[in-house]
Amino acid sequence: MNSTVASYFAQSKEFQAVVVFFTDLFGFDATSFVSFLLFGAVATIIVGAMATIGGLGTYAERKISADLQMRHGPNRVGPYGLLQFLADGVKMIMKEDITPKAADSFIFLIAPLLCLVGVFATLAVIPYSSGFILSDLNVGIFYLVGMASLVGVGIFLGGYASNSKWAMLGGMRGASQIISYEIPVTLSILAIVLLAGGMSMGTLISSQGGMPHEWNLFHNPFAFIGFFVYFIAALAETNRAPFDLPEAESELVSGYHTEYTGMRFAFFALAEYIEVFVVCAVAVALFLGGYKVPFELGSGQIFIDKIGMDAMIAKNIGNFLEIGSFMTKTLALYYVVIWVRWSLPRLRVDQLMTLCWKYLTPIALFNLVGIAVWMWLFDGASLFTLIFHSTGSAGGH
Amino acid sequence: MFANTLFLLSAALTVGGAFAVLWSKNLMHACIYLLASFFGVAGLYAVIGADFLAATQMVVYAGGVVILMLFSVMLTGGSSEKINRFGLEKIPAMGNKKTLFAAGFASFVAALIVLKILAQFIKHYDATPMTANLPTVERIGVVLATDHILAFEISSVLLLGALIGAAVISRPRREKND
Amino acid sequence: MISLGSYLAISFALFICGVAVMIARKNIIAILLGIELILNSAALNFVAYTKFVNNNIDGHIMSLFIIVIAACEAAVGLGIVIRFFQLRESVHVDDAAQLQN
Repeated sequence: MNSTVASYFAQSKEFQAVVVFFTDLFGFDATSFVSFLLFGAVATIIVGAMATIGGLGTYAERKISADLQMRHGPNRVGPYGLLQFLADGVKMIMKEDITPKAADSFIFLIAPLLCLVGVFATLAVIPYSSGFILSDLNVGIFYLVGMASLVGVGIFLGGYASNSKWAMLGGMRGASQIISYEIPVTLSILAIVLLAGGMSMGTLISSQGGMPHEWNLFHNPFAFIGFFVYFIAALAETNRAPFDLPEAESELVSGYHTEYTGMRFAFFALAEYIEVFVVCAVAVALFLGGYKVPFELGSGQIFIDKIGMDAMIAKNIGNFLEIGSFMTKTLALYYVVIWVRWSLPRLRVDQLMTLCWKYLTPIALFNLVGIAVWMWLFDGASLFTLIFHSTGSAGGH
Repeated sequence: MFANTLFLLSAALTVGGAFAVLWSKNLMHACIYLLASFFGVAGLYAVIGADFLAATQMVVYAGGVVILMLFSVMLTGGSSEKINRFGLEKIPAMGNKKTLFAAGFASFVAALIVLKILAQFIKHYDATPMTANLPTVERIGVVLATDHILAFEISSVLLLGALIGAAVISRPRREKND
Repeated sequence: MISLGSYLAISFALFICGVAVMIARKNIIAILLGIELILNSAALNFVAYTKFVNNNIDGHIMSLFIIVIAACEAAVGLGIVIRFFQLRESVHVDDAAQLQN
């Protein structure tokens, strides 16, 4: 069975107590019912947290851009302007929900939902810690790639349904950009899957260690290049600057969501910010050691051995450390994404396609072959191991 | 119970999507219903433990085929004449009552014939109890690289051919100045 | 509930819908939609049989190849459709009758 958040909490005494309570109440074995409740609760928490992160993303974006441009940024609502995103949300809800007369109202309604659903569905396999992952599917990363491609459909349909020239152009650019850049992204992911020997998030992360030299990023030169290929291509896939051609303000008013107002527009924006988070999380999980904490603190074994702590509490502490490690790395990458956006000018369409098809895709293919050869030549040993002859835990199987 | 719920939802999505494709008069909407149907099929795969196949279904269809279809609907959405080369009125592109009736009748007859042929196989099938769902990724990898290596290579050649063929076909010819 | 019979019924419904779409529509892209439905029903059958009858992995391989073929068919077919539209300004099947004369 896949390890899930339910199987993690099933180790605790409280879970068993709740199961016993419901079993007495219903008269049948309530384990699956309690697991279901737990899934519901955790999914709600994750979606709420992600919506907050998406909202805070807009705040962070403004603050960081202001910082880069020597301004103050939002500073009126709440301490340091922190509540700005709530104010924006209220503004969005209060706005009139307009459907243009010539729009295809069914598709117009469904397009932002497709974007949001695609992004939220990917959250099911994001590994926040060894215990706190909604479901560690066997095909985790592959599932994530498949679900993320729904966003492209949503953007395309949003552009089409608006029945406006700008939205149409933005939607077409968005869809062609997304399906083009999916190729280098998938090839880079495939290279790491080859390195780790599995597609589930657990396998991908357990092939790495807590210290930087045990990360896949420094496993071999090909993986090092692969990280940058992945990051650039994933940036393009999320339509972030310098690849934000679908919503280029200077040419297309604001691209595929020109005609959208109110909450529907907010759905597009939210989907974009959460997708950036997902992309950063995948980069962390694949290349930067995921949730691993140095010195094996994450398993909590050291607390049990040294202090004699209760096993479950030690595990929980370990998991919190892991969440901290994962979130720190992910948010650092998030910062880089925003930094890039406010530093680099936008590409042209032909430059965008040239970059994808003439540079990133061949490099990603080269990396794939290179990693395959590396795994065969050195039997999966990492560069660090080869140089220092240490018998560390770095490397694959 | 969990699996049953998932199965019912997926089956409803699949069959409902397929019927909506048949029902819809708008090609763009039909593409979306087709997407829903594909997702239903992916769910059906997941219910019987074909996890890799379910993910492949989502990647290939949601990310590739449906977007291609939507693109080509958009690229070919220009004006179309209502009159054919004999000056007679053409059947509308999404069919009319006559074609729908013909299609329904033809598929009904085809269904009866197929069911008649299949009946003997279905009747003699004794249901085996469902086995537990095992991870399939590793087994598929092993089988693809050993037993089915020829088919694998042939399909890769087919993909390459399709890639080059599609690029060559859809590229506009250069005007020859002769 | 989850049995070979129900899977065959679903795949049958998909197949019938696909055939009906292929016959009823006169738009080439819509006919391609019907073909996709039929290919999916075939793939579903393979997976169902491999699960409920012989329990090996060959049906999955077969379905994978069907997906590959469906992708190829969509790419080449839509390429042809777009080329045809450039030449004839139409995607109506009845217009593709140059060889009939």
